[in-house]
Amino acid sequence: MSFFLKRTAGAAANLGRAVLNNSRPAMVQCVATKTDQAAPQVETRPTVAKVDPLQKAQLVDFGKYIAECLPKFVQKVQLTAGNELEVLIPPDAVLPVLSFLKDHHSAQFANLIDIAGMDVPSRPNRFELIYNLLSLRYNARIRVKTYTDELTPVDSACDIFKAANWYEREIWDMYGVFFANHPDLRRILTDYGFEGHPFRKDFPLSGYVEVRYDDEQKRVVVEPLELAQEFRRFELSAPWEQFPNFRGNPAAEEVTNPGDDKPKQ
Amino acid sequence: MAGTGRETVRAAIRQVRPIMSTDFWEARRRALGLYKAFYRYIPYIVKYFDIPKTENDCRWKIREYFYKNACVTDIRVIDLLVLKGYMELKEITHSWSQKGHIMAYWQPTVERKPCDFICKFLTGVD
Amino acid sequence: MLRQPLSRALALSSPARVAPLAARRYADAVPAQPEKVEVFIDDQPVHVLPGTTVLQAAAQVGVEIPRFCYHERLAVAGNCRMCLVEVEKSPKPVAACAMPVMKGMRVKTNSDLTRKAREGVMEFLLVNHPLDCPICDQGGECDLQDQSMAFGSDRSRFTDIHFSGKRAVEDKDVGPLIKTIMTRCIHCTRCIRFASEVAGVDDFGTTGRGTEMQVGTYVEKMFLSELSGNIIDLCPVGALTSKPYSFAARPWETRRIDSVDVLDPLGSNIVVATRTNEVLRILPRTNEEINEEWLSDKSRFACDGLKRQRLVTPMLKDSRGNLAPVEWEDAVVAAARALRDCPPDKLLAVAGGLADAEALVALKDLLNRLGSEHVCTEHYFPTQGAGTDLRSSYLLNTKIANVEDADFVLLIGTNTRFEAPLLNARIRKAFIHKETDVALVGPKVDLTYEYTHVGDSASIVKDFASGTSSHEVMKRLQQAKRPVVILGADQLKSEEGPALLAYTQELAHKLQENLQDKEWKVLNVLQRTASQVAALDIGYQPGVGQALAAGPKVVYLLGADSGVVTRESLPEDVTIIYQGHHGDVGASIADIVLPGAAYTEKRATYVNAEGRAQQTLVAVSPPGKAREDWKIIRALSEVLGAGLPYDTLDEVRDRLSQVSPALVAYGDVQPNNYFAQARALAQSLQKPVSGKLDVQLKQLEDFFMTDAISRASPTMAKCVQAVLKQKNSPY
Repeated sequence: MSFFLKRTAGAAANLGRAVLNNSRPAMVQCVATKTDQAAPQVETRPTVAKVDPLQKAQLVDFGKYIAECLPKFVQKVQLTAGNELEVLIPPDAVLPVLSFLKDHHSAQFANLIDIAGMDVPSRPNRFELIYNLLSLRYNARIRVKTYTDELTPVDSACDIFKAANWYEREIWDMYGVFFANHPDLRRILTDYGFEGHPFRKDFPLSGYVEVRYDDEQKRVVVEPLELAQEFRRFELSAPWEQFPNFRGNPAAEEVTNPGDDKPKQ
Repeated sequence: MAGTGRETVRAAIRQVRPIMSTDFWEARRRALGLYKAFYRYIPYIVKYFDIPKTENDCRWKIREYFYKNACVTDIRVIDLLVLKGYMELKEITHSWSQKGHIMAYWQPTVERKPCDFICKFLTGVD
Repeated sequence: MLRQPLSRALALSSPARVAPLAARRYADAVPAQPEKVEVFIDDQPVHVLPGTTVLQAAAQVGVEIPRFCYHERLAVAGNCRMCLVEVEKSPKPVAACAMPVMKGMRVKTNSDLTRKAREGVMEFLLVNHPLDCPICDQGGECDLQDQSMAFGSDRSRFTDIHFSGKRAVEDKDVGPLIKTIMTRCIHCTRCIRFASEVAGVDDFGTTGRGTEMQVGTYVEKMFLSELSGNIIDLCPVGALTSKPYSFAARPWETRRIDSVDVLDPLGSNIVVATRTNEVLRILPRTNEEINEEWLSDKSRFACDGLKRQRLVTPMLKDSRGNLAPVEWEDAVVAAARALRDCPPDKLLAVAGGLADAEALVALKDLLNRLGSEHVCTEHYFPTQGAGTDLRSSYLLNTKIANVEDADFVLLIGTNTRFEAPLLNARIRKAFIHKETDVALVGPKVDLTYEYTHVGDSASIVKDFASGTSSHEVMKRLQQAKRPVVILGADQLKSEEGPALLAYTQELAHKLQENLQDKEWKVLNVLQRTASQVAALDIGYQPGVGQALAAGPKVVYLLGADSGVVTRESLPEDVTIIYQGHHGDVGASIADIVLPGAAYTEKRATYVNAEGRAQQTLVAVSPPGKAREDWKIIRALSEVLGAGLPYDTLDEVRDRLSQVSPALVAYGDVQPNNYFAQARALAQSLQKPVSGKLDVQLKQLEDFFMTDAISRASPTMAKCVQAVLKQKNSPY
């Protein structure tokens, strides 16, 4: 339980020492025993983000720990970009998981940095909700992802994080995801009378209506959109593979997937 | 066949989380409640927003907007529409929306598009 | 520029190319497939036939090896060296495009050695390439640009310390279509190979060596080919670009709409590039069954004719006899009054060569509702015997792609090179790669390949049909396993047309009887226009001769611009209604002009000479007050009080499918039969023939301007001038 108390600062100091002493193999070995993985290559290219193996190992451990603590709620834990921990949960688990992450002594993710939405119309649950949390105590960030569709309400996190209020209003406005038990759910960015949810993929880039001041009516009027100029769409395809290095690289590496483990028991 | 039958039954009774109402009549009651709330606020709309419309015009407009969704049967869709309606009503009662927003329901400056073939042909509209 | 990934390369050039048409089965046994060999591309195993190149094997697992000189439809040259890859146990990198696979070969397409080799090649290419991308028309669709981004080095070692400048080459003048900036040339020789292999014009070549090497014609000479535009697509850099399109637009800002060409009867697949409601250029779209990836110059460059000579507003003849612009209401009412006041038997509708199937069926329905049956096409086809009742008698039954597999082709009274350039390219392909022989009955023309000229007398066909000919071609025909007979539809106009068709049917039937392969079709009739097959399918009467003789009072011309209907051939008091998109022959004699849409401006169905229905899509909106053609007729019918029962395009297409399901089976072509019946019905028509066969398009200058669109095109006019000028040149 105390593994996460190892401060990241300490990890950085370790790494610095290792580099200074030029004892690279030893460090790699230490990581290898910790995560039971093959020795990762040390990144030397200046333009590529370096992943701290110690930090990564701690994140992996913490991810597994969350999955063990909340077996009912956590669907999957994964790492993206090498050092970003993500917890994938079903929509009804938002409240328990967020309160766990906020209140647990070795997590203390007390800041809700942002709630983001994502629309993937091809999925059965087209919307993804992404909660970005920050733990000042441990200088760590975590991402909680859940999903929903146009009609299924998600519980509002306002009771846990006051900051969720406006973020949820924003998601309601932009995607039309309904948050149950929100104290003041209404539009936040669009104009009164605006119809539709602009961040949905099926909402056209140009919108449906345009607004102008009408001199005869002496007020602002709303009219269906008429584009004076052709809508410009650029085609930038080439037959050549532009990034062969990224061919078939998965975006996220899986830390643990309780759903897969269960049938074995 | 039996398998697919079971699938459809399962799909039909798939547990969905209700937004507010649990059956159709409850949803209908909520919709009627919204209608009444709008209806009762009509005199104030006409008075406060200084729009060139009578109370009767407003009643017909509200009827029109409700009838536009008359065919909706999904309880959750009804609930969501009702909730949006209440939000809209709140915008009006708090005078957040202005005259232009109210008048936008009538769209007086929008020209109607021709609908029969020969009109469309002569105006060159598809 | 046409650019596609290479995934189709293997299918195109493997030894046992399986045709796209699954129905093709031949009696002679297919040689046993050799065993496949296993090779490893980036450690991925792939099984390919021996003889496959490394590049094609890599394409099979989705690895695109960069290249400049390699093109899957041309011979392998192997001179650009861009496709170098590392092969395990090979001391040096090998050129993937020319290296056949060997068993157990391990190829590394992304290893350090491979990358270094590419970088080196790219550096050498760029040392001799000007840095003029900002003013180069190829920019944005340039293989060199893309590949130097993807595979080149990120810094240059080219320092011009002596200020001697880069290598520079004089530009060549190869005609009004192709702009050459030869300094940009990287010597891939694709244009040279295309000219000699596909176009059959051996004018291109290289002169000099090393830095002095130049691609060109040696002496200044126009590229005298009807397929010349394709070298613009082939050129991987900006050395050969389109002259009419120069400095017009960048490829990423154009919108591309898939469509179908209507300027020749083959219905080549095209992509229309537009911007701000203007057609900028036309590119070919790959369709293996019709045009592969080539396009004829007329189809490609006549698009500037779509902007000139257009009818943009309805017009009526005023009291002084001049056409004056009016509103649609007036024009439609005037046309409706003329149609209503005319007795049904004095009505005549004539459809031209660019009419689409929707307009054709609407016009026929309208006239039928008015009680008239006089709906004709401009081009004649014999109505005696089976006439147009059997579809097989007026189609290209062998199908364009199958012509490649023919072993003997007999052309009767047709110059395929100019009437259907891509069919001719197919015959040439068969002639070169499959040793197909060709014979021609008709005037001696240049078909770009060798052929046996049998003569130009119609009686030769009669002798062939009766088997009395002692000509060597007769023997070759009888021995052929897959013979093809192509009859030009122009020959059927004359008095002897029915007899000629009957003899051709007889000949084809006799040849077909002896074939082992019962699926093979011998008889082909090559129509001249894009609309003719659809019109005959819908039930139009071919030819206007009889109808004109009956003295019609109202003539409705649906894009009829070929000049077969003239004021002189009609009574004095006739009213001519012209509906079409160009102010050409038809509009000049009209009393009422209804402006229609050209093929890039409407979603419309065209049936090609094979009987394959294809549709064009809306690339730009019709100019001014012009409207889609079927809509004009539909509106007219409503004013007449005989409203046609369709308001939307889908409903018109339902009507088309009632007439014939083949008209809406897009992309599909039905196999035709009833050859024997057609021949039996035509047997009584086998009368002695004595005339000479003649074709309309003999020389390249005849090819460019054949219809309303290409006659309005300034580029086509320039082409004619340039060809005539070239004729007078000593070279």
